[in-house]
Amino acid sequence: MSGVGPVEPGEGTHAWDDPGASPPSGPPHGRLAQLYDRHRPALLAATAVAALLAGGGYLYATRPQKPPPPPPPYPSQVVSVTYLAARPAPRGAPPRSFTLSVLLSVESGPPVTVTRIAQPYAGLSVASAPLPPFRTNAGATRKIAITMRVTECGKVPENAGLPFLDVTLRNTRAMEDHSYILGSRYAHDLSVALHVACGNLSR
Amino acid sequence: MRQRSLIAITAALAAGALTLTACGSRDSGKSSDSGKGGGTTVTIGVDAPLTGDLSALGLGIKNSADLAVKTANKQNYVKGVTFQIQALDDQAQPSSGQQNATKFVADSSVLGAVGPLNSSVAESMQKVFDDANLVEVSPANTNPALTQGANWQTKKARTYKSYFRTATTDAVQGPFAAQYVYNDAKKKKVFVIDDKKTYGAGLAATFTQEFKKLGGTIAGTEHINPDTKDFSAVATKVKNSGADVVYYGGEYPQAGPLSKQIKAAGAKVPLVGGDGIYDPTFIKLAGSNSAGDLATSVGAPVEQLPSAKEFVANYKAGGYKEEYAAYGGYSYDSAWAIIEAVKKVVEDNGGKLPSDARAKVTAAMQNVSFDGVTGKVSFDEFGDTTNKQLTVYAVKNGAWAPVKSGTYTG
Repeated sequence: MSGVGPVEPGEGTHAWDDPGASPPSGPPHGRLAQLYDRHRPALLAATAVAALLAGGGYLYATRPQKPPPPPPPYPSQVVSVTYLAARPAPRGAPPRSFTLSVLLSVESGPPVTVTRIAQPYAGLSVASAPLPPFRTNAGATRKIAITMRVTECGKVPENAGLPFLDVTLRNTRAMEDHSYILGSRYAHDLSVALHVACGNLSR
Repeated sequence: MRQRSLIAITAALAAGALTLTACGSRDSGKSSDSGKGGGTTVTIGVDAPLTGDLSALGLGIKNSADLAVKTANKQNYVKGVTFQIQALDDQAQPSSGQQNATKFVADSSVLGAVGPLNSSVAESMQKVFDDANLVEVSPANTNPALTQGANWQTKKARTYKSYFRTATTDAVQGPFAAQYVYNDAKKKKVFVIDDKKTYGAGLAATFTQEFKKLGGTIAGTEHINPDTKDFSAVATKVKNSGADVVYYGGEYPQAGPLSKQIKAAGAKVPLVGGDGIYDPTFIKLAGSNSAGDLATSVGAPVEQLPSAKEFVANYKAGGYKEEYAAYGGYSYDSAWAIIEAVKKVVEDNGGKLPSDARAKVTAAMQNVSFDGVTGKVSFDEFGDTTNKQLTVYAVKNGAWAPVKSGTYTG
């Protein structure tokens, strides 16, 4: 035989015309299905709106945000103080006074206020023009005349190598005490002025 | 038909939302992670004590240079060039440092070296590097003679044009410490001790000179043998001298036990040192009586530098086992200075390294200028850093805390 006969039903298969067989499974037609059929347009629209809201919400929540601006720099990191030269003491200055001028510059950031200028030696008092507190903007410079008066010759250094100028600085970030080491020319001029003020330091 | 349209609209909206979501990829601030600059590989040598007593500082130097190299590769900072480091251990010994310098010179892929830690080691390496036109940037050497010649106090003269450093010198650090000790801490009688090494003896000398100029008294001087840890004889001399402060020129492996033994001998006076003792290990070795001991160190406190904060975060993210320690920021900046010099040379040569790359990199280093971890990085005519900040730290509650900062503007 070369022909192919009718295929016998396999295990678990049923003839559709068998009155005892259950109908083939198809789409459910329960209450939920009926509800879905009835409200399909509204449900699909609601799903679309929900998807849009979810997508939009995600995008909003994770939107690119500008990083917060960096905090302003510490004042000591943007202020430079350099020595200029010795100058005559102002008229009317007390005896044993002398003046050394410095240049203060603010590189960047918010304005910086100088609230104090001092030096560490016990035998010296300091005044300055302008008088603290004074403010300097970023990019600006300010000449400061520092007038020192020897109050006790025995308490000043004869020839300090790297004397400090102590300055208190304030900006919107912080208030800081910072020492400026003005170098050998400042040290030399300070030493000369001290020797003159104290009669060559014959104390 | 109406239902089909609705389905199509829904699908389109959903697809649109998803597309928007996908397109909204954020700029994470990270560039391509390929980590490769392509073509040429340039090696940056690192020489530091990677084993032994000073390895805490040395490993911080190595890791920080490694971070700089990885950052440059990640950013493809020099097109066509991939950087790598080769770290060699000098064990804080001049002879080992010299051998390492010779190895770097023999490797033609090495176009610069970061290190060393110790000034005495640098002395042994400088000529080897200079003869080969190989640039060297130390993050930690502070002895003035390395850049300004042996007679730096009377006549500054640069000896090696290939040597640069990002740390300021003891010509400033010693006097800075003396000014603080005399004027701020109000100590007038000092006992000075050093370890006879280039760094320690040099620093003690610059401190002593300024302290005397200020009117202070030297109660006594001693030299210790850095190979021992028994300083009881010196401690007794300190006690008997009546000094109200001790200045030590040297490093923390000896400074810690010295401080402890001085206090144990009955001299309740602070020990003051330079950047060589500014490490947490000093406090561990010195014990609880080290409260009030002082150290000066190069640079401003890390918390004052926004750029340093980024470095600290990246170092942490880098997963390095050891701390970056006192010279981490300076080591990163030293490595980055070499990277900048290589970049300049490559760009000036049509995107390729020239045949005389070492000489050109050395020449380019003189004009390197960038905003680094530690502030503006550039070099003066001697190869010294132009950024000369210093800070005094005190031991408080078992840790170093900054108490005063200064800037040299002379």
